[in-house]
Amino acid sequence: MKKLRVTVEGKAYEVTVEILDQGPEGAPFNPQGVAGAPAPAPIVSAPIVSASVSAPVSAAPAAAAAPAGPGSVVSQLAGKIVAINVKEGDAVKEGDVLLSVEAMKMNTYINAPRAGTVKKINVAMGDAVNEGQSLIELE
Amino acid sequence: MPISAAAVDKLRKKREVALNGGGKDKLEERRKKGLMTARDRLDNLYDANTFQERGLHATHNCTGFGMLDKVLPADGVVTGTGYVAGQSVAAFSQDFTVAGGSLGNIHAKKIVNLMDHALKAGMPIIGFMDSGGARIQEGVGSLSGYGQVFFHNVLASGVVPQIAVIAGPCAGGAAYSPALTDFQIMIKKQANMFICGPDVIKAATGQTCTMEEVGSAAAHATISGNIHFVAENDTHAIQIVKQLLTYLPANNLVDPPHKLPPTLSLTKHKSMDALVPEDPKAPLDMQAVIGKLFDPNTFLEVQRDFAKNLIIGFARLKGMVVAIIANQPMVKAGTLDIDASDKAARFIRFANCFNIPIITLVDVPGFLPGLAQERGGIIRHGAKMLFAYSAATVPKITMIIRKAYGGAYLAMCSKDLGADYVFAWPTAEIAVMGAEGAVKVLYRKEITAAADPKAKEAELIADYREKFASPYQAASKALIDDVIEPSETRAALAMALRSLLSKRETRPPKKHGNIPL
Repeated sequence: MKKLRVTVEGKAYEVTVEILDQGPEGAPFNPQGVAGAPAPAPIVSAPIVSASVSAPVSAAPAAAAAPAGPGSVVSQLAGKIVAINVKEGDAVKEGDVLLSVEAMKMNTYINAPRAGTVKKINVAMGDAVNEGQSLIELE
Repeated sequence: MPISAAAVDKLRKKREVALNGGGKDKLEERRKKGLMTARDRLDNLYDANTFQERGLHATHNCTGFGMLDKVLPADGVVTGTGYVAGQSVAAFSQDFTVAGGSLGNIHAKKIVNLMDHALKAGMPIIGFMDSGGARIQEGVGSLSGYGQVFFHNVLASGVVPQIAVIAGPCAGGAAYSPALTDFQIMIKKQANMFICGPDVIKAATGQTCTMEEVGSAAAHATISGNIHFVAENDTHAIQIVKQLLTYLPANNLVDPPHKLPPTLSLTKHKSMDALVPEDPKAPLDMQAVIGKLFDPNTFLEVQRDFAKNLIIGFARLKGMVVAIIANQPMVKAGTLDIDASDKAARFIRFANCFNIPIITLVDVPGFLPGLAQERGGIIRHGAKMLFAYSAATVPKITMIIRKAYGGAYLAMCSKDLGADYVFAWPTAEIAVMGAEGAVKVLYRKEITAAADPKAKEAELIADYREKFASPYQAASKALIDDVIEPSETRAALAMALRSLLSKRETRPPKKHGNIPL
């Protein structure tokens, strides 16, 4: 029996290891016959305790992002605002391109889902936005 | 001696009662509401006078709960075979006017008998689902009925095409039979489908939600991805069934209904030269490419409202039936994400089951980066595309239009996954990663050591783009068979496909592969 201390991400664990494949005289099994060869390291599976397992994943963007409501036009994907084609008070038709989000070196156009008036623009040029984030409120 | 008049009379009376289902008044009530009856649906589906019914005189075998004296005409489901545009098709249609279309033992047996027949004869199966669910009076007998239907759905899968029309309620276990078929068409308003409805969700978890959110055609078409087509009403649903059938073979041993012209026209289509936007960041509209590349008005889009960053559907190319898988750069930059991968993989496998050649149109910047994607398992979902393409032995032709980067390039039916032909337009960019990223990795030292690092980086990026963001490096390694002008695409793809219609590829026998699910 051997006692080992295993440290995972700064946390120490005490592990007891029993070496089973030993020769008849208790000598370490050594097929190559090399004197003094170290016994193979035991395979120890340390418990996974890193915070990433339990940390909740928030779909909502971090700071001060407007929540999506019924009149919200949301971003399809995470990216950067590279064009805003409307201003507050503008009347828009269904399918009009309201903004462009750049991601993956491509511009993704955000179209008006229906006709209406632009009530509020929640983002500015160059803003980083997340998937599902409300960009514009339509009325 | 002629048959006795009494015997004939008895039969005719029995027929009349059975044909009226839950009663004339109930049938009329449905029609007034704008709903078809179970038999109306079959009458509309089949060519006139071609429907041959089986099991008209069936009824339930339940004796408990006051059921002994009750007759349930045809046991609540009309089953039989007939012809749709001259093609043999089997169909069943649940009758909501008979005990709410509930599924009992005999009801299930009729469906199973029909499926057995369709399997033996090798014909598609269409089901109209309109049922309150299990017939509770029959207890576990009705549950067993569902189990038998599921089992036969699986037996038939990959042997004959199966199409389900969700035409009314389809709740709980009943929803799993359509889910096992190849295509589900759901009718707006009158239909809903769910495992647990709002009431059960509320009772079990306290969560409040509406039927619209849980089980509507809109929810299934856009969010859950459970269904493939949304129909406005019964007539529209039947139109979709008929249109779908025009692309499908009767079974897995025959070719799809290609209509081969005796000669292939190789005319150039100049309008295709204008499809790629000049600005490299402006997205290309793949719908426009599809509209011009395939025979006019032959494109039937499948799952139009789900994972719109990838387009799938059937079309004809100079008369040949094809299955299309195409990136849509207008949505999410055309990236592959979890839903798009699932959508593509299942469609590829359907096409392979039924000998339908696959045309892949590529404009993909990569897999969608993001925490939700990684945690949602984009690795195992994306792997489905690799698996489905590699396992498919039907003709596979790939057309690289613009971007084809990294793993997503491979996943869109690259040469290495067994594409029989890979074409590229001169605008294609095939590389491991974009120029900016690649230069940072390759020339980190050179950039930091330069007198003007920014200028050096810009120079290296331009140089990399010139060398690698083109189809010619891939073509030099024989990973692309030819670089063609957009205007030549229709002719090139049609010629390639004609030569591949006789393709035979055999793999080592096995039960089935182990696709990551």
